[in-house]
Formats: sequence, C-alpha cells, structure tokens
Amino acid sequence: MRTTKFIGYMLVTFFLLIPVAVRGEINTIDEIEKTYGDKACMTCHEKIHGEWQKSLHSRSVIHSLGGLRNFIVFGLKRDWKKPVNRENLMRCMHCHAPLLEQASDSLAAEVGELVQSAFDGNEGAKKQLSRLNVNCIVCHNTVAEVEINLRGATKPGVYYGPSGRSSAAHGTEKSKTITSSAFCSRCHWLYTPPDGDTLYCNTLYGSYQDAYKAAGGAAACQDCHMRAKGRGHTFPGAYVPEMVKEGIDIDLQATGVRVQPGKGVPAAIITIGLFNNAGHRIPDG
Amino acid sequence: MDVTARTDTGAVINIGKKEYREIGMDLDGNERLGAWQIKEIIDLSLPPGKTTEERFVAEFPEGTKSVDIEVLLTYYLTPGYQSVVHRVSKKVAFER
Ligand code: HEC
Ligand code: HEC
Ligand code: HEC
Ligand code: HEC
Ligand code: HEC
Repeated sequence: MRTTKFIGYMLVTFFLLIPVAVRGEINTIDEIEKTYGDKACMTCHEKIHGEWQKSLHSRSVIHSLGGLRNFIVFGLKRDWKKPVNRENLMRCMHCHAPLLEQASDSLAAEVGELVQSAFDGNEGAKKQLSRLNVNCIVCHNTVAEVEINLRGATKPGVYYGPSGRSSAAHGTEKSKTITSSAFCSRCHWLYTPPDGDTLYCNTLYGSYQDAYKAAGGAAACQDCHMRAKGRGHTFPGAYVPEMVKEGIDIDLQATGVRVQPGKGVPAAIITIGLFNNAGHRIPDG
Repeated sequence: MDVTARTDTGAVINIGKKEYREIGMDLDGNERLGAWQIKEIIDLSLPPGKTTEERFVAEFPEGTKSVDIEVLLTYYLTPGYQSVVHRVSKKVAFER
C-alpha cells in the first residue's frame, strides 16, 4: 500500500520535471496556452499587447483559414494521400503557429479537424484556433535567435529584446537579432521543410534582399513596420490603406495633341509613373 | 490600374488597364494559389525604389473639346477586400 503511493508520488514528480521542450509532448491547446500564451505578458506589457491584438500576427491561423483548410482537404488528403500529423501540419504552422512545434500527432490531427470545422462556420472551433498564433513568446523567445549554432538556442523563460532592460518578472537578454531583418526572414521568406520540399507562401524577404538592399536600400523591416510613426506591434501591411498609400506614389502627365495629318483627331499622350516606396515588391503574393 | 477618360460631352472611354501581381505556378505551367503547390513565381509586381512608367495614347471622337483623364489604382487583396490606393485626374483641352 505504502509503496504504491510512493511510486505514484514518484511518477507525478517525474512527469512534472520533464521539460516541456520535448518533441511530441503537448497534447492540448489548453496546455499550449498555459505554457506559451500571451495572457502572461498582458498584465505588465498592456500597451504592446493591445497593439499586437490589432496585428495579423495575433490572428495568423484564423486569418488564413481558407488556405489552411485547402491544404488539409486537397493537398494532404486528396492529392498527397498523407496524414494530418505534426510534420505535415508544420509545413504551414512553422510560420502560422510555431507554438505547435511541440504538438503530439494527435493534437496536430485535432487542429486539422478544427481548421475544417471552423472553415465550415463552426464558431467554437474558430475560437479554439484563435489561440494559435504568432505571439509574444514566439517572437521574443522561440524564434528570437537566428544564429543558433553560433549563439546557442534561446533559454526558456528569458525574453530577448532590443535593449535587454532587466525586469524582476523574468529574465531578459539584449538581442541584436530581433532588431534585424533577418529575424523577420524566418517567416517572410521561402521555407524548406525537413523533407526538402520548398514552400512559397510569402517570399517578400527575397525581394527585400535582391531588389531593395541590392539597390542601396538601408531600412530594416522594423524601421518601416514598427519604429515609423509609433506603429509598434500593430505591424501594418496590405490591409491598412494608409500603409499601402504610403507605399506607392503616383504621377500623372497628360498632353493634348492632334494626330493623323489633315484630320487632326484629338488625342491624349498619357504618362503614368508609379514609385514604390516600400522595402520590397508591391504587391506580394 | 484603370485609365479612363470622360469627354466634355460626358462619354466615358476606357483607355487602358494594367495589373501588377505575382503569378504562382506549378511545374506543369499552371497557375496555382495553394502555398504547397507553387514552385515558381512570375513577378509582375512593382519593384522597390524604382518608378514603373506606363504610356498610353488615346484618340477621341472628332469635335471633342476636352477630356478628363482619370487613373484609378486599386489594391486587390482577397475576393471581397479591395481598397482604392490613388485616384488622380488631369484635364486635357484640344484647342483649335
Ligand atoms: C515561411 C513561412 C510560411 C509558411 C511555411 C507558410 N506561410 Fe502562409 N503566410 C506567411 C506569411 C508571412 C503570410 C502573410 C504575408 C502577407 O500577407 O504578405 C502568409 C499568408 C498566408 C495566407 C494569406 C492570408 C491573407 O492575407 O489573406 C494564406 C491563405 C496562407 N498563408 C496559407 C498557408 C498555407 C496553406 C501554408 C502551408 C501549405 C502556408 N501558408 C505556409 C508565411 C508562411
Ligand atoms: C512578430 C514578432 C513579434 C511579436 C509577435 C511580438 N514582438 Fe515584441 N518586439 C518585436 C521586435 C522585432 C521588437 C524590436 C523593435 C525594434 O527593434 O524597434 C520588439 C520589441 C519589444 C519590446 C521592447 C520595446 C518596447 O517597445 O518596449 C517589448 C517589451 C516587447 N516587444 C514585448 C512584446 C510583447 C509583450 C508581445 C506580445 C503582446 C510582443 N512583444 C509581441 C517583435 C515581436
Ligand atoms: C510582472 C510584470 C511583467 C510580466 C508579467 C512580463 N514582463 Fe516583460 N518586462 C517587464 C519589465 C518591468 C521589463 C523591463 C523593461 C521595461 O520596462 O519595459 C520587461 C522587459 C521585457 C522585454 C525586454 C525589452 C527590451 O527592451 O529589451 C521583453 C522582450 C519582455 N519583457 C517580454 C515579455 C514577455 C514575452 C512576457 C510574457 C511571457 C512578459 N514580458 C511578461 C515586466 C513584465
Ligand atoms: C513566427 C513567424 C513570423 C515572424 C518571426 C514574423 N512574422 Fe510577420 N507574419 C507572420 C504570419 C504568419 C503573418 C500572416 C498572418 C495572416 O494573414 O494570416 C504575418 C503578417 C505580417 C504582416 C501583415 C501582412 C499583411 O498582409 O498585411 C506584416 C506587415 C508583418 N507580418 C511584418 C513582420 C515583420 C516586420 C517581422 C519582423 C520584425 C515579422 N513580421 C516577423 C509570421 C511571422
Ligand atoms: C522602406 C519601408 C519598408 C521596408 C524597409 C519594409 N517594408 Fe514591408 N511594407 C512597406 C509598405 C509601405 C507596405 C504597404 C504596401 C504593400 O502592401 O506592399 C508594406 C507591406 C508589407 C507586407 C504586406 C505585403 C502584401 O502584399 O501582403 C508585409 C508582409 C511586409 N511589408 C513585411 C516586410 C518585411 C518582412 C520587411 C523586411 C524584410 C519589410 N516589410 C520591409 C514598407 C516597408
């Protein structure tokens, strides 16, 4: 009797001691939210949290629902005849919900079902999925380091920021990476899943490098999308009309002439110039 | 981008149209929308830091005294979501 209890106690502690960062460990969305949710940051970083909620990063699964559903229904199931497991779901979630990196195959399958029923209009499913996104912990910890081999992986519970100002609430570390365009490139560029396939969802960083930087452009993504005009964590893009307007200048020249000798047909010579002010092609995707 | 003209008599004439976008292709040469299907991109977008220039010559009916040239630049995102980026116009008169 005593020994069984003791073993029971031992087992419980044993499971509690296993670090969460083990592959295939997380089985429910509740668990993901508890470990990696944005709520834990809201109390102290309220303003930033409010800005982030307005951004597409906070809706990165439900805002792309149609495409994700088509990938599952037509890509995986119909054309590829492959299961909805973690590896296959991460082809999209590597960027749309990196929190699922540690999901078990059964959680991945459940997320797949939720995507389909949310697409069919089930509000409950949509609410579940709205908890999967690109949140504070994703950017300030999970994907905060690009030079992993040189600097090592990020440490759990430590948040990487531009100044590294210390806090009694949690560890902080000054990070050069997070202020760089390379940081954004993890999700705003080509993706090569472990099997060597290539994924062209959003290849904007390619244009930033090859067309903007190559021609002498000096601004980083953060300069235009965060630092300018106090945009902070709202990350305005194509869905914000002022941003798009700022991206393109237009110039119209028109002169009236008469063409066709003898007839003098009225005609207009029209020249339109479109100047792209952004750090990459417009539009993208 | 749509270019139109409204003549002094009120007639609206389409002058030209131009689309700037990327076309995602599979390797069989078909346009594809799914991120998992696209393997090649044909880039017809506006490049950064540069002016993309378009020229049109439009002829109008005999007797037209003036026209208002209008350029409408629309940003199409997803079906049902679009926004007007610029609407500019210029009056052109044909003197005798
Ligand atoms: C390399 C990272 C990455 C991967 C992998 C990825 N995406 Fe995306 N996706 C993005 C980013 C970033 C955007 C938003 C950029 C934009 O709107 O210009 C986006 C936008 C989208 C949108 C459009 C949202 C809108 O604006 O309406 C859909 C749909 C989408 N992704 C579906 C998918 C699917 C399906 C997969 C998997 C087959 C996938 N993505 C894989 C990064 C990725
Ligand atoms: C898409 C990635 C991304 C997400 C999501 C994100 N951040 Fe940031 N955050 C950044 C970047 C990049 C900077 C640095 C900006 C700069 O270099 O000017 C930053 C800066 C900060 C700073 C320091 C600058 C300041 O304004 O005080 C804090 C604190 C911070 N973020 C907290 C948060 C919190 C809290 C959340 C969630 C509500 C969050 N971040 C979500 C990328 C992100
Ligand atoms: C109990 C309050 C509290 C909570 C909860 C909290 N923070 Fe902080 N955080 C601070 C304080 C105080 C600082 C010091 C700098 C400042 O004043 O912004 C800080 C600094 C940071 C920085 C460094 C900013 C820089 O300039 O480099 C980041 C990144 C950050 N927090 C992210 C987070 C994230 C992500 C969460 C949620 C997991 C979180 N914080 C939760 C209080 C808190
Ligand atoms: C972990 C992956 C990830 C990182 C890191 C990331 N993003 Fe994103 N970002 C996304 C996804 C996914 C979306 C699209 C969400 C949707 O529309 O469904 C997005 C959307 C955006 C949008 C809005 C796009 C639109 O169509 O309007 C902007 C702007 C943006 N990101 C800029 C940035 C910048 C700048 C950085 C670097 C500071 C960055 N992102 C870092 C994944 C990421
Ligand atoms: C010089 C300023 C500038 C720089 C640098 C810049 N952007 Fe942008 N970005 C803009 C403007 C303006 C728009 C709005 C026009 C548009 O929709 O393309 C935009 C749009 C976007 C969009 C939405 C595009 C679409 O078509 O859906 C994303 C995503 C984005 N930027 C991400 C980034 C990332 C990532 C970087 C760095 C690699 C970056 N931007 C660098 C100014 C900039």
